[in-house]
Amino acid sequence: MAAVVSLQNVVKSYTRGRQRVEVLHSLNLEVQSGEFLGLMGPSGSGKTTLLNLIGGLDKPDEGQITVAGERLDQLSGSQMAAWRARHVGFVFQFYNLLPVLSAERNVEVPLLLTKLSRAQRKANVAAALALVGLSDRASHKPTELSGGQQQRVAIARALIADPTLLVCDEPTGDLDRESAEEILQLLTILNQKQGKTIIMVTHDPRAAAYATRLLHMDKGTLARDETRTAA
Amino acid sequence: MKYLPLIWAALRRKPARTLLTCFSIVTAFFLFGALQGINVGIAQIMRLTSESHLVVMSRVTMMAPMPLAHAAQILSVPGVTAVSPINILLGNYQRPNNPIVIVGTDFDALMKIGTNLQVAPEQVAAMRRTRDGIIVGVMAAKRNGWKVGDRIPIHSLNTTKTDGTSDWVFDIVGTYTLQQPDWATQIYANYDFINQAVIAGKNQSIEFYVGLSDMAKSAAIAQAIDDRFANSPDQTTTANEKDFLESILRQIGDINFLVNGVVVAVLFTLLFLTSNTIAQSVRERTSELAVLKTVGFTDAGVQWLVLAEALFLSLVSAAIGVALASRVLPWLTSGPALSAQGIGTMHVPGLVYAVGAALAVLVALVSGVPPAVRARRLNIVTALSGR
Repeated sequence: MAAVVSLQNVVKSYTRGRQRVEVLHSLNLEVQSGEFLGLMGPSGSGKTTLLNLIGGLDKPDEGQITVAGERLDQLSGSQMAAWRARHVGFVFQFYNLLPVLSAERNVEVPLLLTKLSRAQRKANVAAALALVGLSDRASHKPTELSGGQQQRVAIARALIADPTLLVCDEPTGDLDRESAEEILQLLTILNQKQGKTIIMVTHDPRAAAYATRLLHMDKGTLARDETRTAA
Repeated sequence: MKYLPLIWAALRRKPARTLLTCFSIVTAFFLFGALQGINVGIAQIMRLTSESHLVVMSRVTMMAPMPLAHAAQILSVPGVTAVSPINILLGNYQRPNNPIVIVGTDFDALMKIGTNLQVAPEQVAAMRRTRDGIIVGVMAAKRNGWKVGDRIPIHSLNTTKTDGTSDWVFDIVGTYTLQQPDWATQIYANYDFINQAVIAGKNQSIEFYVGLSDMAKSAAIAQAIDDRFANSPDQTTTANEKDFLESILRQIGDINFLVNGVVVAVLFTLLFLTSNTIAQSVRERTSELAVLKTVGFTDAGVQWLVLAEALFLSLVSAAIGVALASRVLPWLTSGPALSAQGIGTMHVPGLVYAVGAALAVLVALVSGVPPAVRARRLNIVTALSGR
């Protein structure tokens, strides 16, 4: 398998007040194509910062980040935006759907940046909603959906542009056990049947059990790396 | 067009706020359209007034009557070619709320004097032959459903006839039009017919229209007319019609300045309102804008979305406002009261649509650029973390 994500000596720090806090210390990491990577660790260990760097939402202070063959640390803001549209799908803890748009309109948003016709976009949206089992809720607004359903809409939105990588920041953090299981099973199917590379930050050991590889982070470094059989 | 659902969704997020903002912009642009229409209407009144003849009025006050005998003396002033006395019959037609003003003139003299009236020669001849004849403006005829040959009863409010009644009957012998037919709203009768039938105010004239052989000498002739009556108990003041009207308008103030002042004040207030609304809307959608950037919208793309939102709101509301003004102003100014005064239907001029669109764009840019720049600079990580 080829490495779809490669980080070399990545350093990232933030300024809090007058203090400069280094969040990631000379981090090295490779993620192979088709992996389901779980990122665990205590709060402040740098999990989300790492996820943001891999997803192209932020840039490192030092080091190289190569994702899907592109050196992210060398891209301009607009190049990075175009790259994100092509290669990354994001799933957030609080779904981050646009509240006044229906489920199908939310899923369609990333496709507005493509040259697809209205009909093609509609067909793709229908397929993505079918994949997450929400064809019958297409015209519903987020407030008319349960948390689990909203997260499935968010996953459909993340998948709609057929990205190389799915980046999930605590995707089950706001869900009940049953809905969380459904979302994790959906991610597993996407990983195993469609070969999507998934990187998921989680605090929940039961969610982490679905990952095929688990990275434990502590104080901005990789404390433990375990490859395992998914649940 | 494919981004329209996003723009529309942003506006629908707080429907009440969007509607109130829209209503404010509609009101502002309605005022803008209507006031500009009135401004143009006043300019039109000025255009219709003639510089080609003099108007002689009482020096005491505008509508004070003068003796008819003045007419012969005015005609004897060198350079004067024709004089028409004027009497006014105020009344209503068929119902009390349909006021009518009939201007009694020496119609032959009026045609020589050089007014802007366009009347067929045979109708002028018919007027000469018919004592109770009237020539009506095409708009007055249209509004009242009159045609040549009709006999119309008018109930007068300011005259009583020698038979003790106030009811008059006139024969419509012709119609006149103007370069702008909307303004042909007056009714001309024969001075002699009204003068001979009234009990009070016989042989009096509230104005004299005076035709000149050479308008270049109008100032000297006006002075000569006023000098002629300097020692009379009925002194006169003479000027051309345009000067008269301008002096009346000056008493009200600089109407153009007032109208533009109101429009500027309204638009200036509007800027604060829309700026605040758009800025608040963007602040509330920080995380949503960050999500758009996350899925691949560029900083510039998000900036344009916010600007497009401001433009959409401003242009659509402005269009509604001006369209409303273009419907309401003619309706307000085509009523019988103004029409009877010789004021025609006012319209929102075409230029107002173009200027209105430019102003709407200006309002959108001034109110939309700061929040759009803020949206452009929005850091995804900071916005998503709620910091």
